[in-house]
Amino acid sequence: MNGPVERARHRRGRTPLPAIAAAATALGLAASLAVAANAVGNARDRATGNDARMAAALWELPGAGAQAVAQFLGNRVAIQAAEAGGRGPGEYGYEAGALDPVVWIAIDPEPASPSWPAGATVPALLAVLLMAAWATRRRHHPPPPRYPATTSILTAALLALVAVAAARWADLELEDLSAAHVSHALDAASIASATGATPATAARVAGLPWATATALDRPDQLWTMPREVARAITALPPDLRAAGAYTIQANGATYHAAHATLPTASGAAPPPTTLHLAFLGYQETAAPTIPLAATTTATILALNLILFLLPLSARPRTLRRTLAAWSFLAPAATLLLLFTFGPLLFSLWISLHEWHLVDPAHPFTGLDNYRDILLDATWWSAIRNTAVFTLHVPAAMAVALALALLTQGSRRAIRWARLALFLPGITSVVAIAVVWKWLLNDGYGVVNQALARVGIGPVAWLTSPDTALPSLMLISVWMVVGYQMVVFQAGLAAIPRDWYDAARVDGAGPLQRFRHITLPGLRHTLFFVLVTSVIGSFQVFGLVYVMTEGGPLGATDVAVYHIYREAWEFLRFGNAAAMSWILFAVVFAATWLHFRLLEGRRDERRAYA
Amino acid sequence: MTRGPQSVSLRGVEKRFGDTVAVAAVDLEVRPGELMVLVGPSGCGKSTLLRLVAGLEEASAGEVWIGGRCVDDVPPGDRDAAMVFQSYALYPHMTVAQNLGFGLRVRGAGRAEIETLVGEVATVLGLSGLLSRRPGQLSGGQRQRVALGRAMVRDPGVFLFDEPLSNLDAGLRLRTRDEIAALHRRLGTTMIFVTHDQVEALSLGERVAVMDRGRVLQVGTPDEIYRRPVDLFVAGFVGSPAINRLTLARNSAGRLTGGPFRLAGIWPFDRATLAVRPEDLALDAPHADFDAAVVRVEVLGSEQRVHLDGPGDAAWVARVPPTLRVAAGDGIGVSVAWERAHLFGPDGWREGSALRPS
Repeated sequence: MNGPVERARHRRGRTPLPAIAAAATALGLAASLAVAANAVGNARDRATGNDARMAAALWELPGAGAQAVAQFLGNRVAIQAAEAGGRGPGEYGYEAGALDPVVWIAIDPEPASPSWPAGATVPALLAVLLMAAWATRRRHHPPPPRYPATTSILTAALLALVAVAAARWADLELEDLSAAHVSHALDAASIASATGATPATAARVAGLPWATATALDRPDQLWTMPREVARAITALPPDLRAAGAYTIQANGATYHAAHATLPTASGAAPPPTTLHLAFLGYQETAAPTIPLAATTTATILALNLILFLLPLSARPRTLRRTLAAWSFLAPAATLLLLFTFGPLLFSLWISLHEWHLVDPAHPFTGLDNYRDILLDATWWSAIRNTAVFTLHVPAAMAVALALALLTQGSRRAIRWARLALFLPGITSVVAIAVVWKWLLNDGYGVVNQALARVGIGPVAWLTSPDTALPSLMLISVWMVVGYQMVVFQAGLAAIPRDWYDAARVDGAGPLQRFRHITLPGLRHTLFFVLVTSVIGSFQVFGLVYVMTEGGPLGATDVAVYHIYREAWEFLRFGNAAAMSWILFAVVFAATWLHFRLLEGRRDERRAYA
Repeated sequence: MTRGPQSVSLRGVEKRFGDTVAVAAVDLEVRPGELMVLVGPSGCGKSTLLRLVAGLEEASAGEVWIGGRCVDDVPPGDRDAAMVFQSYALYPHMTVAQNLGFGLRVRGAGRAEIETLVGEVATVLGLSGLLSRRPGQLSGGQRQRVALGRAMVRDPGVFLFDEPLSNLDAGLRLRTRDEIAALHRRLGTTMIFVTHDQVEALSLGERVAVMDRGRVLQVGTPDEIYRRPVDLFVAGFVGSPAINRLTLARNSAGRLTGGPFRLAGIWPFDRATLAVRPEDLALDAPHADFDAAVVRVEVLGSEQRVHLDGPGDAAWVARVPPTLRVAAGDGIGVSVAWERAHLFGPDGWREGSALRPS
């Protein structure tokens, strides 16, 4: 059973997909960790760079120099003047102004101890090991994995866990860094004030990247920091502001801020005021959650794809065919995604906003649009008009079925009749609407002229709220009847002649044959025509747009026309999008109902197979 | 509804579709209770003839009589005939019970009556357990039985079968053939059975009507059809392997000769066809009519078919007992059972049997 030949055969048929799956997981884990580590590393770099810049600023203060810098840096670093013309020996240097000779302050920071998140590493390494072991194991046990879903769920959970752990780790690290930076900034400020610097200088000394020194009750002057952050600082209660250090949540990030109260230089004017210095720590104190989530999701998707291909890998032919099929599908699928599903989802997005075409601001309003529409009587009147209009479908189907039965056969006259009946269906709706508008004109319309000949008074076909919609329905029947007739004829031709012969021998008359053979035989055709016609009827637009423009008195204001006006006349795209989705829901519900009520039981459907 | 088996009589019936003559002046009498098989190649008009009886087609000329009544103006449902179609023509949207009862239902029979009759037929045909199924859920043989039952339930005077076995596999076809024969014995109803399979025709029919190109060439018992075919077409169509044929021509002495043969007697035509059934050739007789080389031997167990490089340009086949030792390549002496040989004239009609060589 497990002889060497057997095993060799299994090995030959293998593709390296299990290994790829393991690699995908490992890559995902590594990427998650790298994203987190990169965020922390960047923050460290910037903290060190900031320290260097602050030290350089202190260096420039009158009467300070090396002592102030050393004090600021807490004697953690060696400070030395570097030679002119070259960078200092340290990792970070700063050119300390126009001193002569040019002096470089070189700061050699403490070597950053690489703190690797043990909590995330252990499960990650464990997972990689497990996956590798699994992949190796599979090499000797050929049956394809029977539970790719289970594996994928477990791996997804593992990846998510790692991502969360990495985010948490980055979060803590960044908080520490930020807090340290804030305390440095405070040190810098106090040193600057002790050496008699002006508040502006103190701010410059302490203020990078974001700090300002000004009266906090004038937030418009807090120009060096983001507006939202300044707003958040001024919104703090005064006692908290006096407390010294605090954190602010703004712009989706955590800012560590510190306060120092600087005595102003005493003078006559202006009167002495206390200025507050608000020092901000890092902008990037938010853990890299979004990139981490993206990495995890991408890995899970890739993994699922691999696990989908995995069972096929034992059958390279099938695998090849599957890949070929997908590559053939890819162009169409891409177009579909870009131009069908993309806009679809975008319209859903729009429908959740107040989206005016002219106003660039699109505030998010949640379901407000939907609520407004559902409470809007004109919208419901449009829906009602649409529903009434849709009643033309069963009428048209009855006429079409009768015509289909009458125009069977291939005699010349019948073929011409069929063509004549079908023509409206392939004519432009606009052309039809224009001609009918003219035919049905109250005064000079041909129809009213003809009716007048036989003594029937002028009928207000399109100008009375009572008759406008029925008129449109009549025209619509005339338009769709030819198409439906052709479909019915195809359906009739598909009913075996033998059924009719058998029924005749059994003694069934024409009506019984229609009832027991024709109708059941046309069942699916009838259903198809009904559903497509109802959907088409719910989307009626051209007739209304050209003939009545929704009038008179909104009597023909149907849903799509209503949506059109909402979007292109009132420019309320949010509302229009929401209406479209409500209409979609209505049509969907109607179609679903059709399926439930008419499509019958499963075995009955199979009986036709 | 029971009136017993009915006779069917076609009198000069003709059917044209445009310029095409599907059935040409057919006279055919089917006695009450008889099982008559219409057999012929595709397109010979046998199905059209059946549809004329059923009333699904209207005759261009002639009359159709069923049970002593001219039914030319009677609609199909009132002709007291039921038909089983090649496709079975079961209604897919109805259950087996509804299919069986459809004929009764459209005639306005009561629910209880329908149930009783359907139940009886279903019992006879072994369909009782399938009554609530739909045709799509049945096997081919079951569908065939439902089609049979649909005809039976009305207890008609005449059953019409339009190639009802051709959609079944070989084994099931044989079984169903026996079932139909048994059904005929039990019901005693007149049955007209259309088939293109001559074996089916001979095995099933009490009488067989052989048709070709819209005409009935011969009506007779299977034995008559096989032993005494009146026409060269009938002789060739019936029997397998096909009858051996040799074209004869008149020589200067006025005798018909061909290959090694010279017929005794004077015949009134220049050309004729000699026809001998494969079993009427003997390979081990003491005297031989001619010598031939064995081309191929088919061993079928119960018999052997020996293909011979026969006289004339035709290949001949002899049916011999399995015990005879013969192999391809042998030269062998062949003797003809002249008393069972036929001679067909230039128009195809049989002119003589029990020939004598001279």
